[in-house]
Amino acid sequence: MASDVSLTVPRGVGAADGSDGDDVAGVADALARCSLALARRFSAGATMWCASPTWPFHAHHVAVEFVHPVIVGKRALPAVTVPPAADLVATLRASVVPGDIVLVLADAGDPRVIDALRRGAAWGVETVWIGAGSTRPDPGAANHVIWLDTDAPLHASERFVRIYHLLWELTHVCFEHPGLLKPEPDCTDEICITCSDEGRPAEVVSVDGDEALVRTPDGEETIDVSLIDAPAPGDLVLVHAGFAITGSVG
Amino acid sequence: MPETTDFLYPFIEGDETDADELLEDLARSAEGKWRQSARLREETLARTADQLRETAAAMAERFRAGGRLFTFGNGGSATDAEAVAHLYTQPPSGRPLPARSLAEDQAVMTALGNDVGFDLVFSRQLIAHGRGHDVAMGFSTSGNSENLMRAFAEARKQGMLTVGLSGYDGGRMAAEGTPVQQCLVARSDSVHRIQESQAALNHALWAAVQEELAPTH
Repeated sequence: MASDVSLTVPRGVGAADGSDGDDVAGVADALARCSLALARRFSAGATMWCASPTWPFHAHHVAVEFVHPVIVGKRALPAVTVPPAADLVATLRASVVPGDIVLVLADAGDPRVIDALRRGAAWGVETVWIGAGSTRPDPGAANHVIWLDTDAPLHASERFVRIYHLLWELTHVCFEHPGLLKPEPDCTDEICITCSDEGRPAEVVSVDGDEALVRTPDGEETIDVSLIDAPAPGDLVLVHAGFAITGSVG
Repeated sequence: MPETTDFLYPFIEGDETDADELLEDLARSAEGKWRQSARLREETLARTADQLRETAAAMAERFRAGGRLFTFGNGGSATDAEAVAHLYTQPPSGRPLPARSLAEDQAVMTALGNDVGFDLVFSRQLIAHGRGHDVAMGFSTSGNSENLMRAFAEARKQGMLTVGLSGYDGGRMAAEGTPVQQCLVARSDSVHRIQESQAALNHALWAAVQEELAPTH
């Protein structure tokens, strides 16, 4: 006779309070902030690009959830799965437009995901990283990090399903609050840290001598790269007053 | 929104500006649903413990005889089928087992959907691939999907072991005369909560199959 399955599958530490041993409050706060951000982006016309190089089924599940809601009457939202066999950075670079969302499910150490998300600022996209493990992504690796500290893969996988279901549910709650979905007002201050040209992230498209064509959230522009080591297409740089001031950012 | 209830929704005109209250509501709602999901998970695993062991033993017998696992479902359940095939073939521990999701090959899915109809997309694949000692495992939240019922019927015709994961009251998959030999039901009326408990059932069943097949067993 088989031994009790509870010996091999964690039956939920802290089951009595329904927490399952997870940091429910922390996850709930992250979900709330992320949902409002997604609702704002979707309201402004965003497409959500979902990717999970290691667990493609999770990315597929997120996308189908948003595109084809289980509750009749909820609006269908544009969400897409990046095919797992595709080059993640190359696919996103060709596909995303400023204002889009990139959502990934991955371990903190996944090099494909790290390389994709560090370009988020240059592409002008909102980034969401859902994952688990005792190692967390570096601070600032994504706009939203929804994380579980467990190193048990099956425990994490089950919670991921909960997390993206709740993300969908809460995003639709936000749509009932149109006043909170308006775009942030344009900055009109004369001197503004956010808008000033102190150092904007950009991705190099092509290089021609001391000049480079770069991609920024505001479009493509030609900058002077004579102050830094010659960059290559795909490199990230910081742009200040028409000059690349730092090479190989990120 | 009927005008008479407008007073209940002070921000309905779109002039709401403070997001803090909404964020607080969202977080509390997420916490409540998380705990609700965790409780359903516990209840489902406890209620189905004997059935899980029985199903695992029958599946292990098929695997020992060289049988393979075919998984299938629609939509989110198709991703569950994919996740289960992934778990059996690339387990975090234990023995890799032959498993495949029938919803994964877009050439086959669109060929069958276009030529013979969507009700037959899984059963036709079982006609091509199935052998008597294989296992057919289908995922549905309603338990009523026609293409699953057709696939289970074909699987039974071939002598395969049929395992179903369902929700609500089990639907057709758990009804009298069903071709599903072992129907594991997550009893809820929320599609999301059902899928969350089905994920737990999948993991518990996989673990029990691994135990059955362990050398010391």
